Amino acid sequence: MNRREAMRLLATSAVIPLAPGSVMAMLRDARTVVGTQPAPRTLNPHQEASVRAMAEMILPRTDTPGATDVGASEFIDLMLTEWYEDSERERFLNGLEDVDHRAQSLFAKDFVDCQAIQQAQVLTALGEKMAEETERTPDRGRQLRGSSPRTDESFYPMLRRLILTAYYTSEAGASGKLHFEVIPDHFDACAEVPSTKEGGGRQ
Amino acid sequence: MKEETTYDAIVIGSGITGGWAAKELTEKGLKTLVLEAGRPIVPEQDYVEHVPPWEMKFRGLRDRRLQREDQPIQSLCYACDEWSSKFFISDKEHPYTTDAGKPFWWIRGRQVGGRSITWGRQSYRWSDLDFEANLRDGIAIDWPIRYADLAPWYDYVEEFAGISGEALGLPQLPDSKFLPPMDLNCAEKVVRDAIAKHFGGERVLTIGRAAVLTKDHQGRSACHYCGPCERGCITRSYFSSLNSTLPAAEKTGRMTLRPFSVVHSLNFDPRTRRATGVRVIDAKTRASVEFRGKVIFLCASALESVRILLNSSTTEFPNGLANSSGELGHNLMDHIKGGGAVGTIPGNEDRMVLGRRPNGTYVPRFRNVKKKDGAFLRGYGFQGGGQREGWQRGVTQTGFGPEFKNSVSKPGPWRFTFYGYGECLPNHNNYVELDKEKGDAWGIPVLKVHCEWGENELALRDDMAVSAAEMLAAAGAHTIEPLRGGDPPGHSIHEMGTARMGRDPKTSVLNAFNQAHDVKNLFLTDGGAMVSSSCVNPSLTYMALTARACDYAVQQLKKGEL
Repeated sequence: MNRREAMRLLATSAVIPLAPGSVMAMLRDARTVVGTQPAPRTLNPHQEASVRAMAEMILPRTDTPGATDVGASEFIDLMLTEWYEDSERERFLNGLEDVDHRAQSLFAKDFVDCQAIQQAQVLTALGEKMAEETERTPDRGRQLRGSSPRTDESFYPMLRRLILTAYYTSEAGASGKLHFEVIPDHFDACAEVPSTKEGGGRQ
Repeated sequence: MKEETTYDAIVIGSGITGGWAAKELTEKGLKTLVLEAGRPIVPEQDYVEHVPPWEMKFRGLRDRRLQREDQPIQSLCYACDEWSSKFFISDKEHPYTTDAGKPFWWIRGRQVGGRSITWGRQSYRWSDLDFEANLRDGIAIDWPIRYADLAPWYDYVEEFAGISGEALGLPQLPDSKFLPPMDLNCAEKVVRDAIAKHFGGERVLTIGRAAVLTKDHQGRSACHYCGPCERGCITRSYFSSLNSTLPAAEKTGRMTLRPFSVVHSLNFDPRTRRATGVRVIDAKTRASVEFRGKVIFLCASALESVRILLNSSTTEFPNGLANSSGELGHNLMDHIKGGGAVGTIPGNEDRMVLGRRPNGTYVPRFRNVKKKDGAFLRGYGFQGGGQREGWQRGVTQTGFGPEFKNSVSKPGPWRFTFYGYGECLPNHNNYVELDKEKGDAWGIPVLKVHCEWGENELALRDDMAVSAAEMLAAAGAHTIEPLRGGDPPGHSIHEMGTARMGRDPKTSVLNAFNQAHDVKNLFLTDGGAMVSSSCVNPSLTYMALTARACDYAVQQLKKGEL
């Protein structure tokens, strides 16, 4: 097998040492499984609806898929169920409750029942609070490669981290928005940033 | 069929040095048994470098609960991630102990290929600034070799392994036989030029010298820039024993590679004063098996090789085989790292990187090179590099909606990082011993590690932050943040020095050819052999020492001296 053949065969996954046709079939099956995940295990229907609403507001569907299209709330439920510590999960769920408190006190409605402009007002307020906090404990978005994500942050940055991670590590988010290629097969150290309408930074 | 138990040579370990020993000994005609404690690796199934994050359960955030349970130490290594954690040991099965308040992070891989699967691939020659350092400073003992002894062996291993990099002609960092260098990106060029302008040639920034192929070489393919080498490489573009030396050994038809073979101890015949063989616990059946060999190469890593010797005591060597000097297990070193700085390099906003270069930049040592400077001995080099910030910066931004989505999907500012690796002085009081109270999963006594940084290492680390910030400032960077580090020893995964070479059997374990002074047919060629630590990555030197020792061992064997 020469290098090009090897890379073509292994373009998607090196764990499946099969012919290309079967690889694609297996991947389709895998996606079907992801697409029909069981009901959330930690989030109740109301909480899930709130998470979905916020995810779609932060990264909405435009001419490219949005956060709910790539299953952000399913990913968040997985993380809350199998990844976070009890205290961290509690912090997140309390944060969700606080979102409803804010919506109630401003508009006498739960967040999901608010109009879009009202929801935006709640998110803006959460953002302002986060900005004050990051002023006190700066995190400049710099992550050394391979380091674990922060787990000490408060609800809103935690939510945003999960939504952005779900989006930009999804196939649609990474391949579409970031033009991520599994096998670039080239290295251009000082390439021009493509000036498409959507921007799009390759990685 | 009965298993063959007698060989010309036995190599213990299949990582960077074990792979080289296997290749050299088999190519020189010896029937060689390679013992590996871990499982076999099948590249086509086990390599996962092309599995995208969306196929990982936690999207690359790792199985946190499993790691906390099974790999609390291993997961401190950046490479022990959701893809590659399978190339790291279970801390539960392989415990070790330390003194209270003196942590040592011991990162290990037990599988065919060892840690050569996950290593950082940085490959630098040492120089006489290193080999003469102890003599010059009156510290520990002198190296029994000089650069001239090793230079032809560097040539030899580089020719096979393939090292990409830029020739600089620096005396403190001799050039290798290079494949073409990888390119610097825009921010890195800005920093390189500023350093050249402001530091009068004393400081230089160059591309990392990496055991990654930039063109097809020795039947292996050039890099395809997918990025995460530590997950394996189906095109065998970076050097590992699995990708390179073990296949060469296999080709001779003289290698028997035996995975799941946990070495318990060596057998010693006091009459002939030779090691007669190896006692192995089969990791699958737990049966005890013995193998005999005329020559034995310990290549299990500085700490594991020494653990085997410490566990092979005899009446004559009550404190461990080949330990008449009392130095076995002592003088443990690792590079002190993590001092440095990060800054934003303005400009080049219309430029970005395409492809993922598995390599960074390097600033060779500049302290105490031509003249004495700093309130410390020796020096450090900087790894690092430039990159544009990614979507992660959007976490703490307040925006949302289509405009936010569009802006956070674009590359952010160019950030440049200097990350220092400093030399560690040999110190008899940094050592390992057997902890007879505690056994591993096979009942073999574990190591107790006694190790802490000394004043000189800490002074080097402090200086890293200062000199890195100076260079960033010279490059016009803003938002400069110093990095102070704080890792305990072990985390650079350059542990070495525990069975040092030397001229005098009273003060050293090995001679100038990595041969045990006390046991002539026993060689140790991993990091244990090092007499000082330099500040550059050691693997290339381990390779050269191993090839040289194999050449010597086979000559001696043919002369009937072993």
